[in-house]
Amino acid sequence: MSTLINANPTIYESKASNVRVLRSDDDDDDAFDAIDSQEVFDLIRSISDPEHPLSLEQLNVTQLEHIQVDDDGNRVLVEFTPTIPHCSMATLIGLCIRVRLLRCLPSRFKVDISVRKGTHQSEHAVNKQLNDKERVAAALENSHLLEVVNQCLATAN
Amino acid sequence: MPSLEKLAELQGHEDRVWCVSWHPTKPILATCSGDKTVRIWQNTNPQDDTQWQCIGVLEGGHKRTIRSVAWSPDGRQLATGSFDATTGIWERDEEETGEFECVATLEGHENETKSVAWSRSGALLATCSRDKSVWIWEVEDDSDFECLSVLQEHTQDVKMVVWHPSEELLASASYDDTIKIWRDDDDDWYCSDTLQGHASTVWAIDFDARGENLASVSADQTLKLWHCYQPGNPQLVPMVRRGEPVWKCIATVPNCHDRCIYSVSWSKRHGHIATAGADNTIRIFSVTESATAPAPAPESATTQQQQDQETIAHPGPYLTTSSQTMVTLAHGTSDINSVSWSPLAQHGDWLASGGDDGTVRIWRYKP
Repeated sequence: MSTLINANPTIYESKASNVRVLRSDDDDDDAFDAIDSQEVFDLIRSISDPEHPLSLEQLNVTQLEHIQVDDDGNRVLVEFTPTIPHCSMATLIGLCIRVRLLRCLPSRFKVDISVRKGTHQSEHAVNKQLNDKERVAAALENSHLLEVVNQCLATAN
Repeated sequence: MPSLEKLAELQGHEDRVWCVSWHPTKPILATCSGDKTVRIWQNTNPQDDTQWQCIGVLEGGHKRTIRSVAWSPDGRQLATGSFDATTGIWERDEEETGEFECVATLEGHENETKSVAWSRSGALLATCSRDKSVWIWEVEDDSDFECLSVLQEHTQDVKMVVWHPSEELLASASYDDTIKIWRDDDDDWYCSDTLQGHASTVWAIDFDARGENLASVSADQTLKLWHCYQPGNPQLVPMVRRGEPVWKCIATVPNCHDRCIYSVSWSKRHGHIATAGADNTIRIFSVTESATAPAPAPESATTQQQQDQETIAHPGPYLTTSSQTMVTLAHGTSDINSVSWSPLAQHGDWLASGGDDGTVRIWRYKP
């Protein structure tokens, strides 16, 4: 990429409180494992930013507090914060989060993804596009776009 | 209590089912999917509604998801709209293989074709796309299709096109939150009305049997009913353009579903409306018409306010929807993308549905 949208992003430390504490039944495969916001955060924190060799967590794009999980209702809401309000990568970042969750969460979950209120100048347009399943399905059949998404997801673990 | 009983679950598609379409005269259903195929299913025993078989697979015609499938009114041809931007026309090779073959590919849209529809007479085909345009094609002999018009008044993706049940009048639903009505004046197609009222993408629309009313469903989770007021209508609704009918919203069902509503089907046989969407639920509504305003239901204050507003906004006729039954988890925890009532007189109670779980289900409505 010749010019960076945001050349000097602020980098944040990974918070100690963001690390999951092992529970006694974590190794027990039969234990009922409800999905919580920590688990969703762990799935998306290490996704790479499309234009920096940094993770979404390091750029404070994704934060644990901005994820809501209703395990019984099968719903997940992920809000993310673009590094700058005119970030043209916002849709791509949202698509990466969606694809990651599509691949990793049980299919019973309905996932809504949106930019945090007031953090992007085209908030409504970005959110509408990210939550239109037909557009997402079509985007994922675009091999070039899929390759970019997969690159961002290569660091997710 | 009215109910929806599952007759059959049809498995075979290897990806989500996007659209289901009934054959106009036979107990046959066509379905299309993200697996790039169309499957044809038939009720194999007239005495047993639960016996269904896949009698054909249409493959190789499209490089990407097939989003939409539609039978021609004579049941001889199928049209398919695909994310690969083309529209396929398929015909059964009666003499040799007996299989469906792609006999024409219509090109022109810049990107994903989202919906295809044949006019009542079969003389016209409409397609729409993410490129914001609606195309009208004239069906000529020998599987020849000529583009008559490219309509570019929507400001965003066009999600669906549906023809009026008897006239050459087309309705289109869009990501721009509106519905547009298209008419022709001596082969010159133009937008005669824009229906505004939905707060988000309009995913699907369907006319009632006479074409006097239109149902629409949206990502705003509402079902809306629109009425066509003719010039000189007794309600004295003024025309926008001289001599042309005008459409007005005359009923809204708020919170009809908990998430996006993807599909609506208005039975031409018994007048019930089926809706389905991302909340895994199929709902059935009955519609009653009255000349005078119905008394508002004694529900919550907000609902009553909304009803009052609707009542003031139009002078009738009054359509009242009443929820007959609903099936939650109709396709397990999967979205339902398409529902369609059978057009057959003897099987008007059949409803087909297709979902993200890749299955097709046949239901029977019991009033």
